[in-house]
Amino acid sequence: MSNVLIFFYRRLKNSSFNSSTRTLSKLQIRNYAKATSFPDYYQNPIFRKEDQVKLIADSDLKNRATVPVKPPTVSETSSVYFDPLVNKVINHVMEKGNKRLARQLVEKAFENIKRKQIERYHLASTPEEKAKIELNPKDILYKAVENCKPLLQLQPIKRGGITYQVPGPITEKRSLFLAIKWLLETTDEKERTVHFPEQFAWELLEASNNTGKVVKRKQDLHRQCEANRAYAHYRWQ
Amino acid sequence: MKQTKTFTETAIMVRQPALDIMDCIRASDMNKPVIRYVLYGEKGSGKSLTLAHLLHYALEEGYLILHVPWVSEWLRRTPRHKEMTNSQTKEGFVDLPLDAAEWLLHFKTQNQALLKNCELKISKDYEWSKREKTEAGSPIAALVEHGINRVKYACDVIDALLLEIKILSNSKQCKTFVAIDGFNSFYYPMTRLNTPTKKKIKPEEVTLTNSFLELTKNDWNNGVVVLTIDQLAVPDENQESFLPRYLLYKKGFEHLDPFVPIEVGRYTDKEFLSCANYYRDRLWLRGPSDLETELKFTSASNPYNFMLQCAPL
Repeated sequence: MSNVLIFFYRRLKNSSFNSSTRTLSKLQIRNYAKATSFPDYYQNPIFRKEDQVKLIADSDLKNRATVPVKPPTVSETSSVYFDPLVNKVINHVMEKGNKRLARQLVEKAFENIKRKQIERYHLASTPEEKAKIELNPKDILYKAVENCKPLLQLQPIKRGGITYQVPGPITEKRSLFLAIKWLLETTDEKERTVHFPEQFAWELLEASNNTGKVVKRKQDLHRQCEANRAYAHYRWQ
Repeated sequence: MKQTKTFTETAIMVRQPALDIMDCIRASDMNKPVIRYVLYGEKGSGKSLTLAHLLHYALEEGYLILHVPWVSEWLRRTPRHKEMTNSQTKEGFVDLPLDAAEWLLHFKTQNQALLKNCELKISKDYEWSKREKTEAGSPIAALVEHGINRVKYACDVIDALLLEIKILSNSKQCKTFVAIDGFNSFYYPMTRLNTPTKKKIKPEEVTLTNSFLELTKNDWNNGVVVLTIDQLAVPDENQESFLPRYLLYKKGFEHLDPFVPIEVGRYTDKEFLSCANYYRDRLWLRGPSDLETELKFTSASNPYNFMLQCAPL
């Protein structure tokens, strides 16, 4: 456990202040809640070509070569297809371990996003409008998740028999988790005839525009936190 | 259909098999019996699009086009209940009236220009019932109209139409281009059709099969016949190989023998790069150019797989 914390700290030191790289670096650390078949001192695999190149450049290789390495999972490849956030979303969509189906659904959703955006691109008349339209579905996913992340959360704290909803800080990980969870929950509230990929594509497009149900949910949460500002001192009582 | 909307244009890649067939057609003698070309290849290698390219060529050259888009639609794709009737003119045969009428409409829209100039006339009388009769000397368009309006007689109309077209080709009044996609499902031992008494029907018992098999015999001249045989036209258990002898079974092979087999293969390197550039130009694919080497490997240069794998990128 301690080795993982040291690893974490070193990563935080080395990473820049850009929040997206911080999130990405956190995604690649697996802190298992239960005991796994690998002891704690095993280090996580570095499977991306650019990370490996950086490692050779920093000449950190000697330190790492002595410590044993966990194997990467089947989906962690060095191919152009791999993206840590997309992989995380696919994992959240997955049910009963059916990763193949989950991946197909998310890829279909990306295809739908791409078609809609290309349609809008061709309908736009001026080059300035065309430049504003984002065509890469992965960028839209990143933007949508960014827009849906809450900055505070409500914690139930019991004082004198009454449970107050107290606003408090939220970790990056939990914030990302809530964003993805809310996106998937709103896609589930769809009509019977509409398929998951289409609805998911709609939700992502609306979220990346800062409109839609998920962003509204985040803003409602922020409003609640603002309203319950008076109870904030209950965290330290 | 979605691809044409996304790319805002209908564009087909010009590939070697189509060019080969066009050269052969130009070099062949129209007075000899029809030459039958058979396009074969793996799943997704581009046979149907090659056929589309040849249809376009035929239209430009002024052929009368007889195009069957996908034979399995008639014999294998059965939504809930397929409209089937027992044929009245032939004993023990089964009709598919709605499909026949749909095909006649398709024929009419494809050959609008040629049917309008009214020089193609029928040679015989056809009596459909006591009051309905199509006289000798009336244009083919009238026969087609009758088939579309009276769905009951549509299959018989198709029989008559194909006979007349053969006679017209033989007498050099028009040159004909026959294009059939998924020809091997005519020869598969079973169809998915059942009579109301739950008896399974074989393809030979359907009138439409016999009409088109008559058409592909080489007893007429002044025309071209291009067929496609596809693994997708038969169910999964019989999809071991894509070669003609396996897919056509003995009967089909003997019926079509002699024919010109033309293989439609996967993309060559140059074709792959030009396809990838086209996708980039149409904004379908984006990213670093290393993507191409990786996609070439994962899709094995198969056109259909390449298209599917570019979708989420």
